[in-house]
Amino acid sequence: MAGAEEIEICEEGAEAKTERGDEKVVLQFLDSLDGYLTLMDSLNSKLREGWFDLASARHSMGTLRINTTLLDLKDHSASSTLQVTDQEVESLGSVHCFALSKWASKGGSGKGKDFSTVADSEMGSPRSPQLRHRGVSGEKPSEKGETTVLAADEEIKKERAKSLSVFGGLVSPKLRGAQLSFETALETLVEIANTRASMLTAFKRISKK
Amino acid sequence: TNLSSIKSKEEKVLNRNMAGRASIPARNSALIAMIADEDTVVGFLMAGVGNVDIRRKTNYLIVDSKTTVRQIEDAFKEFSSRDDIAIILISQYVANMIRFLVDSYNKPVPAILEIPSKDHPYDPAHDSVLSRVKYLFSAESVSQR
Repeated sequence: MAGAEEIEICEEGAEAKTERGDEKVVLQFLDSLDGYLTLMDSLNSKLREGWFDLASARHSMGTLRINTTLLDLKDHSASSTLQVTDQEVESLGSVHCFALSKWASKGGSGKGKDFSTVADSEMGSPRSPQLRHRGVSGEKPSEKGETTVLAADEEIKKERAKSLSVFGGLVSPKLRGAQLSFETALETLVEIANTRASMLTAFKRISKK
Repeated sequence: TNLSSIKSKEEKVLNRNMAGRASIPARNSALIAMIADEDTVVGFLMAGVGNVDIRRKTNYLIVDSKTTVRQIEDAFKEFSSRDDIAIILISQYVANMIRFLVDSYNKPVPAILEIPSKDHPYDPAHDSVLSRVKYLFSAESVSQR
């Protein structure tokens, strides 16, 4: 009798654990859905900024200087690329994870800054792009580290300028502004891709049940 | 030689682990493809996502008034079958032209992201991902539980 009661208690405990797990998946799905919609809204405003700056640049530089006929059709590789990996997320299992690598040097020096936008392990909520951190108050960053960062910044400036060079040597500041807006939109898109992946994974888990 | 053999072994392990899933680029640099209007494509090209290979094949299609639905379909099918592309950006109004194709696509990679365009704001009701999951909130699904 005591044995049967113990088995019953164990079964109830297992059921409660399963229910909690199910609820967690549902919460993760709803969080991902909310994150997805918020990020789409953010993307919309960033794109609008970019389109507006592009239109302003076209107005000041002329339509002939900013159009698709000027695009470089010689073979060249992308400066901003993605890394795709599998990440283990609690209660969801394996989720595809996209990380952005912006302005990687094509010369092979690999000094381009890596703004990896990787989804958090708990939810699909993305972290903000990693920025270089200054030392804690009172501490000075090492000179060598600062030199490396400056060299990387220089490389990125060169890559950015190269990207705009198809539109001529002297470009409007609005065009540079548009470039930055679209770069930010790109980061948001990678976050959206990560949120989408965790949302669809959670959705599949819920649908199975 | 040792480094290249180690890398190829790593790729084999990665591919074995991915067995049964859609193939994911084992390389570290996958591309972002675009099927969108001129301003959107030009903007993202300025952000460095443009790629042109030796055969002059690009990772983008600029959609204008002269672009046919067939061209858009072919571009979508080509980009979604390439293993060096991880994300496809498609303007939502362009996706609406090939809605059947976009909605029937269900591979995890490349991920299809519908984005707004200058003249056509984003509509969550038409988003293929949200259409897939809204079933959870429908009255029919709730009554079945």
